[in-house]
Amino acid sequence: MSAAGENLCSHCFLAVGRRPMRVMVNGQSCAFCCYGCCIAFQVKSGKSEEWDAAWILIRLGIGGFLSMNIMLFSILLYTGAFSGADANVLPRIELLLCILATPAVVILGGPFLVETWSNAIRGRLTSSALIVVGVGAAYAYSVLAVVEHSGRVYFDTATMVLMLFTVGRYLEAVGRARAARDLEPLLAAESECATVVDGGTERRVPIREIDAGMRVRVRPGERIPVDGVVLDGASWTDEAVMTGESRHIGKNVGSPVIAGSINLDGPLLIRSSGPGTATRWAQICRSVRDALSRRGATQRLADRVVAAAVPLVLALSLLTVLYWAHRLPFDRALLVGLAVLVVACPCAVGLAAPLATSIGIGRLARCGCLVREPGALEALARTRSIAFDKTGTLTSGEARVVNIETEGVEADEALARAAGLERHSEHGLARAISLAAAARGLEPVVTREVRIVPGRGILGSAEGHQVAAGNGPFISDLGWALEPRLIARARSQEAAGHSVVYIGWGGRVYAALSLDDSTLPEARATIDALRGRQLNVTLLTGDIAAVAKRIAAAIGIDDVEAGLSPEAKRAGLERRRRFHKMVAMVGDGLNDGPVLAEADVGIAVGSATDLARETAAIVLPNNGFWMLPWVVDVARAVRKTILTNLIWAFGYNTIALSLAALGVLQPILAAAAMAGSSVLVVVNSLRLARLPDPSASLTGRSAPETPCQVASAVLDPVIEPG
Amino acid sequence: MAYYLMLFAAGFAGSFHCIGMCGGFACALGRDGRGRGATLLRHLLYNTGRLTTYCFLGALAGAFGEVLCTPQGSRVLLLGDSFDVAQRTLAIVAGLLMICMALQFFGHVRVFHRLSVGFAASTFAVALRSLLVAQGRAAPLAFGVFNGFLPCPLVYAFAAEAASSFRPLAGVLTMAAFGLGTFPAMLLMGGVGRILTPMWRQRGVRFAGGCILALGIVTLGRGIAPMAGHAAHAWAGGHPG
Repeated sequence: MSAAGENLCSHCFLAVGRRPMRVMVNGQSCAFCCYGCCIAFQVKSGKSEEWDAAWILIRLGIGGFLSMNIMLFSILLYTGAFSGADANVLPRIELLLCILATPAVVILGGPFLVETWSNAIRGRLTSSALIVVGVGAAYAYSVLAVVEHSGRVYFDTATMVLMLFTVGRYLEAVGRARAARDLEPLLAAESECATVVDGGTERRVPIREIDAGMRVRVRPGERIPVDGVVLDGASWTDEAVMTGESRHIGKNVGSPVIAGSINLDGPLLIRSSGPGTATRWAQICRSVRDALSRRGATQRLADRVVAAAVPLVLALSLLTVLYWAHRLPFDRALLVGLAVLVVACPCAVGLAAPLATSIGIGRLARCGCLVREPGALEALARTRSIAFDKTGTLTSGEARVVNIETEGVEADEALARAAGLERHSEHGLARAISLAAAARGLEPVVTREVRIVPGRGILGSAEGHQVAAGNGPFISDLGWALEPRLIARARSQEAAGHSVVYIGWGGRVYAALSLDDSTLPEARATIDALRGRQLNVTLLTGDIAAVAKRIAAAIGIDDVEAGLSPEAKRAGLERRRRFHKMVAMVGDGLNDGPVLAEADVGIAVGSATDLARETAAIVLPNNGFWMLPWVVDVARAVRKTILTNLIWAFGYNTIALSLAALGVLQPILAAAAMAGSSVLVVVNSLRLARLPDPSASLTGRSAPETPCQVASAVLDPVIEPG
Repeated sequence: MAYYLMLFAAGFAGSFHCIGMCGGFACALGRDGRGRGATLLRHLLYNTGRLTTYCFLGALAGAFGEVLCTPQGSRVLLLGDSFDVAQRTLAIVAGLLMICMALQFFGHVRVFHRLSVGFAASTFAVALRSLLVAQGRAAPLAFGVFNGFLPCPLVYAFAAEAASSFRPLAGVLTMAAFGLGTFPAMLLMGGVGRILTPMWRQRGVRFAGGCILALGIVTLGRGIAPMAGHAAHAWAGGHPG
């Protein structure tokens, strides 16, 4: 059996026999002789992680040592091992139990006592108070029984209850740590260091201290700490967390790199293009941390219920003890009271929503979707109506200038002035105008005092004149002169479904630019997928009716409102809210900012705008529009998990509470079931981390430009210069 | 007494398996910077933790056996003698379990491969890993306590034996004898690291397998043929329970 060449156990180096156990550990195939060796191997060879819960574990181990000894002697005591001739050792055994139990109660009960005290001095009663009161009573009664040599002792109950609750706490900590793992890359911007090359020396500097122009070395496997340009080296990078782009992107000298992306295989030397605190990564980090520190609506409600329940449960338990004290010996009545306290402890309730929400946020973050408001996921899950802005959302936003009508000036002059104005705007049409001017080799006219009027147009001054570009209503509001012939030609362009931007200066309109905007290739499939999820889809646009109708027909939206000012869009949302209670609004982030803020859930798609000014609660990555149905799926899964968690936690508490008050439930069983309830909540929530990737959950989708599949899948091996 | 000596011997032999599986942990706990005494204390704590868990499991298994076999009208008359059906069933199950474990040591059978739930197993592994590197003086004790819960065929086999003793006290003593049997080798591992070649360990594991097989057959015998089982038991020194 131990012939040469036979497989050996990866852990203990013994022959594994004919049917070994094969497991992948850290990406390599290992054979084990038994399951214990498999775990032992993982313990020894796994990646060593910082583990916040380690101290709970030591506490648990010591407490376990003491309480297992107590249980051991108690089992012997209960089964009569010391009866008969050994009866005289009984008091000594009880004293021994007392000696073992005292440190156990201090070690395991300490954190609960501290928590109760720190809340009590602030006038709050938390669930840990229930444990402290219950266990304290059982322990005190037992000590008294030992001192007076009377009655039974319940050290086993006291320590096992504490033990099981500590196990529950530990599993909570593990669950939280797991939930944080997905978010860790997003939160690292504030904690990590970068290697700055200064002359010939290298030093480690916190990312927040990096400034523009510094040279930073990024080793393979490290995260790129700042936005910048590659000075030396070539490598592949993974930008999935920042952009949702799952393809690995090749970088060589001169390529721009994004902070937060991972340098995969070659050392890079980059020159920072801005301070480390100004990157999108750092902004995301701040906004995610904010989101995690706030609590959603469901959790606030649950918190209030818990706050009200604690004093009630204390009173109920007191009544139970009083009631049973008349019918049973006092120590039995005390046990019933303890069971009531233990079983009513609403630990799982406090865990139900935050864990599920942060796992949901982490799951979305893995594909570059950012949640800035924890309540947004719950709201999105409840929403039955979803409204879209058109430009930059349903359409590529990359409109082209297709026609220029002028009146008394050269087309190039109008375009140059328009470009000078529009380069201050991030609107899709504005970019198209700037691009058109650049394509003709025109130098934009320098324009100052630029003011953007959301949804209408843009105003500035150049060469001593006021310059304006905007839609029809904007121009008529300004009261500028407009040639009837120009109007007629512009109207015909609009009738053909083009967007028209009027350009004027010095109180007169000289040109009308026609722009055409193409719909996103994945828009139709996405809208269909949303409708398949019982969502009512609406198009609310500031654009003219002809364009809106054409686009809506192309992507299959029936409910269209066009020509809306931001105020009218808000009114449109309000009307829909009356029917559907909650409305989500999807836009590109800037020109519809006020509307996004007004909606119950604002969703911004691929906004290149400054995140700090972002008003949307959920931000999808660039070209991430197709992920929207998946985001809805995740939000619904999160809400479902929160609800099942809460129903379980509350339902369990109610049923078990009645059983305990009737004296049917033993305290240790109650505590075990309580810990089990926490485990169930943790496990139920952790299922969320295994939700399918967007591309897997959306079948029949037209091929998007950026599938967010497993980040390691190299779909396009061609090195892109950036 | 001879019975417990045999368990001790089986534990000692079985510790060749321990050296492979848990010896790595003993090595990883390593030496204490504060000197020889501190190192010894460290490893004694670790092993005490392990022993406590084994004894606890023994008490639970014994109590489980007792609860299962408390006469509740299940006694039947067989050949004029009264034998507890439940007791015999438990003995058969425990005996078969031990024989399976013994065969596993010879590499013939795979038991408990699909026992794990992903979350539980990996959480356990991560938990142990964090304790292994923790700095506190009490960490080895905590590590030992959890180490005792590692799914180990030896522990299962002896827990089965403890259950078939039908008494918590006997269960505790069974596991204690086994646990103490593993002490010398594990303490040695803490001091000197891996001293034995795999070949020697393989022989030790076979020997342990033989011991467990013998115990399993005796236990099985107690269930199938009570008289023969009793005879074998008497030969082995008798069961205190």
